[in-house]
Amino acid sequence: MIENYNFNIDKIPNLSQEEKSIRKKNLDIFFQSGFPNKKLEDWKFTDLNSLISKNFQKLTNIEKFNIDKKLELLNNFQHNYVYLINGKMNSYNFNYEEKNKIIIDNFNNSNRNVNKPLNSLNFLNDALAIDGFYLEIKENYKLKKPLIIYNFFSNNLKDVIISNKNSIKINKGSSVDLIEYSLDDSNNCFIKNTNEQINLDEGSNLNYFVLQGSKSNNFFYKYIKSKLKKNSNFNNYILTSGLKFNKIEFDIELNDDNSNCEIYSALSLTENAHQEIKTLIAHNSPYCRSYQVIKSVLNDQSKGVYQGKIYVKNQAQKTNAYQLSKTLILNDKSEFNAKPELEIYADDVKCSHGSTSGSIDENSIYYLMTRGISEIDAKKLLIKGFLADFLEKVKNQEIKMLFEENLERQVNGS
Amino acid sequence: MLNIKNLKVSVENKLILNDLNLKINPGEVHAIMGPNGSGKSTLANVLSGKKGYEIQGEILFDELNINDISVEERAQKGIFLAFQYPVEIPGVNTNVFLRTSLNSIRKSKGEKELDTLTFLKLIKEKAKELGIDEKFLSRQLNVGFSGGEKKKNEILQMKLLQPKLSILDETDSGLDIDALKIVADGVNSYKKKDNAFLIITHYQRLLDYIKPDFIHVLSKGKIVKTGSAELALELEKSGYKNL
Repeated sequence: MIENYNFNIDKIPNLSQEEKSIRKKNLDIFFQSGFPNKKLEDWKFTDLNSLISKNFQKLTNIEKFNIDKKLELLNNFQHNYVYLINGKMNSYNFNYEEKNKIIIDNFNNSNRNVNKPLNSLNFLNDALAIDGFYLEIKENYKLKKPLIIYNFFSNNLKDVIISNKNSIKINKGSSVDLIEYSLDDSNNCFIKNTNEQINLDEGSNLNYFVLQGSKSNNFFYKYIKSKLKKNSNFNNYILTSGLKFNKIEFDIELNDDNSNCEIYSALSLTENAHQEIKTLIAHNSPYCRSYQVIKSVLNDQSKGVYQGKIYVKNQAQKTNAYQLSKTLILNDKSEFNAKPELEIYADDVKCSHGSTSGSIDENSIYYLMTRGISEIDAKKLLIKGFLADFLEKVKNQEIKMLFEENLERQVNGS
Repeated sequence: MLNIKNLKVSVENKLILNDLNLKINPGEVHAIMGPNGSGKSTLANVLSGKKGYEIQGEILFDELNINDISVEERAQKGIFLAFQYPVEIPGVNTNVFLRTSLNSIRKSKGEKELDTLTFLKLIKEKAKELGIDEKFLSRQLNVGFSGGEKKKNEILQMKLLQPKLSILDETDSGLDIDALKIVADGVNSYKKKDNAFLIITHYQRLLDYIKPDFIHVLSKGKIVKTGSAELALELEKSGYKNL
């Protein structure tokens, strides 16, 4: 299979000789193991290597695409935006905000820190990444409107891997509601491998919403490394139903007192979709809190995976960590794998985890039907209810409505 | 309105209702009393169309045999069951549920569905009549409701959906005296000449507040005695043993 990969570093523009040689070393490391397979503990439920072998005859890294594209923006929703096309920043607009509060730039390896690679996909990303964005919010500024990061994929992508890097830095006392919104226009197969770093300074807040604007037959992997300082909050809301393959890997460090991280996901998977959420939350300091609720509804032959690890360092007393995964299995051929892991070295902590799976409660269906609601509508209502209860946590009403519409569409199967 | 003829119901070959006959006319209030295990709740579930029962005999509703009609169609035709244990449904907002329900029924009758604003105005009115705090309507359906609040919510649904036949399955169980009065007032205020009630209860207590036209005693799957409201008082004294 490896001989079918044509990853060419020389065709990446504007690289110094030194950068080229570092990238080539990273590529060599990738080739030693190839794409991750199920023999690796972190990938035991997601054999990416075999999925890629099945779906790609050949694979190359992205060339320059000349895209003359009229931007599709969300209507009836006031927002700032950064528009990425095939992983590369195309344009941005912060008209709702004060000037000089926001830095936005192409991500550039030479002047930014990059995450230390953990797996072969990270090494491949280091070897091949071009572009992405760098976003910085200056001190004590709360964005007036949400920021949408559009991720658009064009219809001329074929047998390629897109690698990019993003970096988000929220300075002291600042806040932003960020929505990643993906739109896939492609008919052919591609892989997207993103490496993102997020740094939250003291007292800052990032609400990170991940939404899927259209169905996609492609392969998405995203590694997020996040570091939190004192009194900062990092909240994630993931609604990526409709992707054929998606793995999101969080590596979150709560490095200072009273930092707080929450992850909610609500996925309705159909056909042979395969989605995994993997988290590592490191409580490195006392009085930090982490909270994860992973909800999945599995139809057809879909597969859902949740691997959640909580690590509590010896000095991280008064840690409060919680994780729960709940799954509705609607078809015998679908599958859910959950692997909770707690590694605790402090003695005064509150840590708990739970995992349930089952089918829709017959008594609830009956109750709704006695109120004149058809069986199909009753089931939809119950599925939506099962997935949607995290919406109560979303404070921004407009974002909440956007999520509700999306969820409605997903549960109705379109 | 409702005419049950020679109804036999069994579950896994165990006979629960045995040759039950009952006729309810518009404007009437019928109460069914009986000891535990006499088949009262089974009757309520069979009338609302719950699956899992083997049924012989006939259930006619407005002259139509409804034996093979689904749960939601029966509801759309005007049969309402107030549950003994209303189901808690996390994530489903009470208002959304009530509107979906009302609109499903309106749609089945060829009536226009209500938009959110018109609906909210209507439901607030109905809630006020029953002394239900508006805040309940924006909470998840029955989740964290007290026993009394759940039962009041059932009566609210009844008044919203305006059924022809309302079946109250032990609605009085678990109610304190204030909640019991509210529930009874809700029923009494909905009593009209063209709708009817079937009230299933263990105790005569509820019947102090809702005056039935007929009381039936159900025992071993059969109606063994029918009488007027006074029968309840008699039963309270002598129990079911003598029947």
